[in-house]
Amino acid sequence: MSDTVWIQLSELAHGRSGDKGDAFNIGLVAHRPEWFPLLKEAVTPDLLRGWFAGMVTGSIHVWELPGIGAINCLLNGALDGGGTTSLRLDAQGKAWGQAVLRLRVPVNRSRAAAAGLSLTTATADQWGGPPL
Amino acid sequence: MSPDERECADGSRRSVRIGGAGGFWGDRVYAPVELLKHEPLDYIMLDYLAELTLSIMAKQKARDASAGWATDLTDWLRAGGMTELHAQGVKLITDAGGANPEACARAVLEVARDSGWNECKVAMVVGDDIMPRLPVLFELDHPLEHMETGESLAESGERVIAANAYLGAGPIAAALEDGANIVITGRVADASLLVGCMLHAAGWAENAIELGLTRQDPLTDWAPADVDDPLEVLAQWTVAGHLIECGAQVTGGNSTDWETIPELTDLALPVAEVSADGTVVITRAERGGGRVDRRTVAEQLVYEIGDPAAYITPDVIIDMRRITLEETGPERVTVAGARGEPQPDDLKVSAAVEGGWFASSSLLVSGPNAIERAENCDALLRGRLAENEDLVIQSEFIGAGITLPPGVPRRKEMIGDPPEVLLRWAVRSDDRGQVVRFGREVAPLVLTGPAGVAGYGARPKPRRQLRYWPALIPREMVEPLVRIEVLTVSDLPRSVDRLTLVRQRTQRFIERLREELEEREWARPLARRLNPEAKEMLEQGHGQEEAHG
Repeated sequence: MSDTVWIQLSELAHGRSGDKGDAFNIGLVAHRPEWFPLLKEAVTPDLLRGWFAGMVTGSIHVWELPGIGAINCLLNGALDGGGTTSLRLDAQGKAWGQAVLRLRVPVNRSRAAAAGLSLTTATADQWGGPPL
Repeated sequence: MSPDERECADGSRRSVRIGGAGGFWGDRVYAPVELLKHEPLDYIMLDYLAELTLSIMAKQKARDASAGWATDLTDWLRAGGMTELHAQGVKLITDAGGANPEACARAVLEVARDSGWNECKVAMVVGDDIMPRLPVLFELDHPLEHMETGESLAESGERVIAANAYLGAGPIAAALEDGANIVITGRVADASLLVGCMLHAAGWAENAIELGLTRQDPLTDWAPADVDDPLEVLAQWTVAGHLIECGAQVTGGNSTDWETIPELTDLALPVAEVSADGTVVITRAERGGGRVDRRTVAEQLVYEIGDPAAYITPDVIIDMRRITLEETGPERVTVAGARGEPQPDDLKVSAAVEGGWFASSSLLVSGPNAIERAENCDALLRGRLAENEDLVIQSEFIGAGITLPPGVPRRKEMIGDPPEVLLRWAVRSDDRGQVVRFGREVAPLVLTGPAGVAGYGARPKPRRQLRYWPALIPREMVEPLVRIEVLTVSDLPRSVDRLTLVRQRTQRFIERLREELEEREWARPLARRLNPEAKEMLEQGHGQEEAHG
């Protein structure tokens, strides 16, 4: 895994999020169709569970929409009981789709470079590098 | 130029143009009028109902028999919308009826009458409201279990405020087949608003009538013989509905590309060009700003979906995985590849159950080390409320990283020392008194906490929380009871019954008074007494009316 570097998710994809009962989804679309394999390898249920540790009481799914080069992440039990009873300001989870774009995700350096991804802001570890 | 002329000029197969005129009750009120004025359309659809809108409407209806629907609708219809619908022959399909489709339909007819359109036919679709039938459903062993927690709704008893099944496209198509110019529904699946138009426009509903089918027969059976793959066509139409049901969210609103989207101030609404064969093009009104490209459409496609292999609607279950988006012209995206599975056996029910009490408040915290000051404020408030054991307090330090997911390390250099933090609290408790006590402790922090605390307002009023309750119900428990009624101006009462008007106003006044009294602990017994007396008075009024009649 020494060839893994961490890049800001916004370099790889754009997205939108919204609520569904006590769950929210984050749909992420690769900027280019050829980056879809990198996107689906980078954003996994494990990565999401790490990010949202302590906030998600249910299962986490990541499904693929290869036709548009997108993945859909669903985080069950993540809205403090649901959009209508949640005490959070963002009770519907609408901010997360953009908020996660600033976080770093892992990609294979050589494959990412070959696919034309800029690696100028890549770091060696997840939380390293300049402030996000 | 009518849509017919425009589409047929180049010899291409005529598609149906459906405008998506808004995304929720609260979206830009008069935007539909602009869309109608400047864009040739066949249909205009408007979704007003979010998850809990209906429970709010149900409460309004309980207070006032003529309320409980999305009044924005008649605002824009009165502001020129009705005249445009009439002049251009555009048909309007909307779920604005909410908890009271009949009252909504009558109010719409009044607008039609006032604008001189006496032949206007307004259809109402009722039967989504299963609240009156809940005892029977429970009796028949349909406990309406919460889809996430498995709890039985039957155990919530009198705390259930509203329960509505999501109807599909069938009733809408049937209403259009009956000649309706405007179709008013309560709860229907958002995308079904568009599918209903297409079932009518593409001849499926007419075919179903010729075949002697009922509205309960699966839509695939409605398809004319020359439709190769009805499921695929239904899936494509449903995706079109999904894409435009949030209005401008597909034309550049809420887009990751917000910095480069032209003219967000005058964002154009979307138009779906949909064909009988399932061809779908998403475009936008010519006038105005915004953008329709693969990126804006893709973001809306993934909006609020679960498993893309099984996006469930009452009409069809869609597999979105092979959907492709192709830019086939300026501001035009062709959507292809949706696959369909037969309609589900159950309909989704959205119920609302009264929960505990809720309040929120916030304070502005400034100065060096604003985060530490805010943390101190929070600790003080919690300390002063320590005896309120049932009070759940959520504190958020806005500006200090509340949209960083909780598992991400908070690094000082990431958040720094912001000049200010907005400290927001939200609390809930089953005990209203504890929520009231929270409200009393916020403002004093300005004088009794760290320096630099500002921005306090009035004490927050406790509000009832409503719990959203998704459940499933077999279709046969709902669909046979769905009723469609087409009304015209001649169905309106000739003159307003003054006594009814006075009665409703009195009832509204007493209800407001009662709420005000409920807010004060000492006045609550009085508030409780007020209601039965008011009822009695109203009943007397009713008796008088009958005597006069």
